Order: sequence, then structure tokens, then C-alpha cells
Amino acid sequence: MASGKNKAVVKNKINPRDLTISILFLAPAIIICTVFIIYPVADTFFLSFRKWNGMYGVAKEFIGLENYIKIFKDKLFWNAMLNSLYFMIGGFVILMPLAFGLALLITSKIKGTSFFKTCYFLPVMLGTTAVALMWTFMLNPNYGLVHTIHNMTGDTSSILDVLNTKTLNVWVVVLVNEWMYAGYNMLIFAAGLVAIPQDVNEAAALDGATGWQRIRYVTIPLMKNSFKIFSILCITGCIKVFDIIWAMTRGGPNDVSSTPSIMLYTQAFSYKLFGRSSAYGVILLVLGVSLSILTNHFFREDKDLM
Amino acid sequence: MAEKTKKNRKTVKTGTVILYAFAIVWAFCTLFPVFITVLASFKSNNEIYLNLLSMPKEWLFSNYASANKTANALRTIGNSLFVACLTTIANTVVGILAAYILSRKSYGFLRYIYLFFMVGVMVPVHCTLVPINNIATALNAKNNLAFLVIVYVAFNMSQAIFLYVGYMDSIGREIDEAAIIDGCNDWNLLWRVLFPICKPILATEAIFIFIAAYSELVFSMILMTDDKYFTVSRAMLNFSSVHSKDIAPQFAFVVMSFIPMVIIYVIFHNQIEKGMLSGAIKG
Repeated sequence: MASGKNKAVVKNKINPRDLTISILFLAPAIIICTVFIIYPVADTFFLSFRKWNGMYGVAKEFIGLENYIKIFKDKLFWNAMLNSLYFMIGGFVILMPLAFGLALLITSKIKGTSFFKTCYFLPVMLGTTAVALMWTFMLNPNYGLVHTIHNMTGDTSSILDVLNTKTLNVWVVVLVNEWMYAGYNMLIFAAGLVAIPQDVNEAAALDGATGWQRIRYVTIPLMKNSFKIFSILCITGCIKVFDIIWAMTRGGPNDVSSTPSIMLYTQAFSYKLFGRSSAYGVILLVLGVSLSILTNHFFREDKDLM
Repeated sequence: MAEKTKKNRKTVKTGTVILYAFAIVWAFCTLFPVFITVLASFKSNNEIYLNLLSMPKEWLFSNYASANKTANALRTIGNSLFVACLTTIANTVVGILAAYILSRKSYGFLRYIYLFFMVGVMVPVHCTLVPINNIATALNAKNNLAFLVIVYVAFNMSQAIFLYVGYMDSIGREIDEAAIIDGCNDWNLLWRVLFPICKPILATEAIFIFIAAYSELVFSMILMTDDKYFTVSRAMLNFSSVHSKDIAPQFAFVVMSFIPMVIIYVIFHNQIEKGMLSGAIKG
């Protein structure tokens, strides 16, 4: 993208001083990315075919594809993939309409939009761990919100510990995640909304389109780019999700609320299976790169959204 | 005709009412848990067990003192602020240096370097967890906040360069030409001319890098083993699992952890909104 534009500029003769400066300016970024991104990725590939307990200096024994075979046979891996899928479903079914609705709201003509904007964006600022702990407190069966309501109404029935219940806990974390990121995605959609020229909407209104019709046939098709950004962030975010689940459930009980990145962590740092963990890393990488490319392909310039 | 306008006005009215209702309900949803957490941080354990929603009978500041004493709250917040500040500065400087060359020079190899950074955007950071742990062991860099900073800088670099290059490409080259005729070299052109123009995108990205670095969890979990060097996220989690019965100080710790972020938000919220509304976030 950047250098493409520069092609048009008449090429000067290479000036050694200019070239040196260019390389010096680029060097820090390239070195940091090579040492901390490219080399680790290569190392992950290397380790994923080996067995290693993580002890410095212990030999890394080559075992071929065994790590991958064990992972694909492991029910917990598929369970973790399913949990990531729940995050994706939650993202498209709950977060997208919510964020889009909030975006319509803060760009509408109602009073107090700047106050609402500030409120809605607040959760992202608090930090994932703080948000996760706050909600863990709210949901605690011994002193949380439900407990308080039971105390007020004199209800003595036992309270479900939602964060310790299989499947339910993942959905609870999904909801907390949507609570946190609604404001952030609201601004992504709002950026698309404010970029739509006012006269397009006015023309549609003159032609007798109702509010809903205008949103469906004018606004949404013109906001393809916002939906693309949302989709890429949501899909790549789903396979990466770690902090919020770890802070709320530690992937438990018995790893059932794990996502692939939590499995990667526990395999290495709880079970000392560093080779297996690296194989998880490779799977994450392949998923991450292929899903980004697929999503980009789906939102190609020449295709209509709906 | 008159009837039609009347009807129209009525539907507009119900639409507005629905909008307001939705706006207020969601504002309540976002503020309520934060409000309850702040209230609970001033109550005694017993009061919280009795009723999470009540006002504190007596405003206890001792919870804050106790969080600071048992979990070293202030120190860990300091660690996180230190890491977040350094990460933000390093990312901005290193990122804009690279972005300047990628946007302003026309060497053929730059296209590959740009691609190199774009690949970096797609790599999920967790797959570098084990190798980075190995690097830290080999360099004896565990419990080293500076090492953590470099790791965070690497993770944010590709995204930052991508955004900066996009922004710089939209700035006309006439400005550069004028500056070069006036005798500006690369260094001055970047810092005196382009840097001030790029401020909006730099500021917006800086805020997001700051939040990410302040609250990051996984890498601080594996790279920091000594509780003196814990970051705030790590320390909060540790505190809530070790002292799970003593809940009021935990609420206090959570509140303390987000005070710096709330201050930053109050100062910069216009910048964040303006930056994001002009499309600073890209997929």
C-alpha cells in the first residue's frame, strides 16, 4: 500500500547517505519484531514436533506429529474450540447488534449523547482483569447480587455458582466480554455512520423510506467497511481470548471453560508439556492467519454485503 | 394531510422514547457494577455478606490500607504504570521512525518490509508464549520490567506501524518538498514537520497501547515470578485467590487499579472519541 504509491514518484539515483538513514530508521522496529515475533514463531514450529519438559538444558526429543495427533484426539481441545465458537456466536449475535444500536443512538439527535458515549466506553478503560474481577464479585454465590436479592426477599434456596457450572460459565464470560467491548465497537460503527453523507439519508427520506428501511437499505450497505473491521477484530479476538476467562474461571472446572490459548498456557506451565503447548501455538497461528485472510476475502471490494 | 403529519409526529415521538429508554438502560448497565464496586470497597466484610447493594454504614478507608499492605497494591500499580508509560513512548518513537521511511521513501525493498509488518499483525501473540519464556530464561531476564516492556512493544509494533503509515500516506507530499527546499533533513522533517501533523493518530494509538500494556496478564504471569515485580493484573488475581475470604480489600484493590485509567479517560476521552470516529481502528 505505502510503497505502491511511491512507485509513481520518479526514482532518484540511490543516495548512500539516504539509504543508510532509511535503514537506521527501520532497524529498531525490524529487530524487535524479528526477535520477539518472527523468531518465537519459528521456535514454536520447531518445538511443536518435539517432546520437552521445559527444563533449561534438557534435550528436546523429536517425536514427529505425535503432539498434533494427541491434540486432535483430545476431547478438551474440541471443547476449547467450541468455547471459542461461543465467543464468536456471542460476538455476532449479541455484540454486533448491541454495538450497532448504540452507534445509531450516539449519532442520533437525542440529548446527552456525549454523556452516554462516555459511559458506554468506560468499561474498556477499566482493564480486562479489573472488569473480570468486578463481575466475579457480582456473581459470587456467597455475597453477590443474587445472594443480596435472596436476603432481601427472604428466599433461602441455594444459589447456583454460575462460574463453576459447565457451559453456562463460558456464556457468562461471553456476556461480560460483550458488556466490556460494546462501547468500543460502538465507536467503530459510529465512525462508519458519521462518514455517510447526510444528503443520502435525506434523499431516502424524501422518497418515503421509513427509519427502519433507511437503516436496512441505505445505512448498512454503506457501512461495509465498519462491518469488516468489526468482523476481523471479533473473529481474530475469539481465538485469542485469554485474560477475561482466566481471570473469571481459570479455565475450570477441569479445563471445561478453556479456550485454545488457555490450553496452550496450561499445557506448558501447569503440565510441563512444552512441545504439546507449542503444537497448540501452531494451530492458533494457522487459525489466526487463515481466518484473517478469509474474512478479508469475504469483504472484498467488489462484493455486496447483502 | 394534517392527519398524516400528526401521525408522523407521533411515530417520531415513540421512536425517540425508545431511543432514550435504550440509552438510559445501557448507561445504567455500564455504571451499576462500577458503582457497586466502589461502594463495597468502603464497607466491612460483614456488610458485604449481608447486602452488597446497601450504602456503607461507616466509610472504611482501612480496606485500601489493607489492600496496600497485604497485596502491595500501590507498588504493583506503580510497576504497571512504569511498564505502560515506557511501552507507549517506545512504541510511538520506534513506530513513527519506521512509518516515516515506509511512507516517504521509494526503495523497492520497502514493499517487502511493509509486508513483513503486515504478517506481524496477524500473528496471535499467545503462540509466542513458550519461546519468549525461553528467551527470558536464557537471558536471565525474568522479573525484569524492561524486558516486559520490549515484549509489549513488539506486540503493538505492527499494528502501530500499519496505522501510522496509513495516516502519513494521506498527508500531501508538498509539505515535505517545501521543508526540504528550506533545508530540512530527514530527522527534522520527521520530528518538526510530520510529527505535529500526525499527533491525532499518535495520541489515539498511544492511549490504546497504554491500556493494553497496563492491564496485560499472560506475559506478566510467566515473566514475573517475584511479587515485588508483579503487574497490577497479576497481583489482583493473586490477591483474590489467596485472600478469598477477605473480600472488602479486594474490592478496594480493584478500585485502586482502575483509578489511573479513569483519570486518563477523563483527560483524554475527547481525543479517544475523535480518533476512533475518524476511523483510527482498522482490521
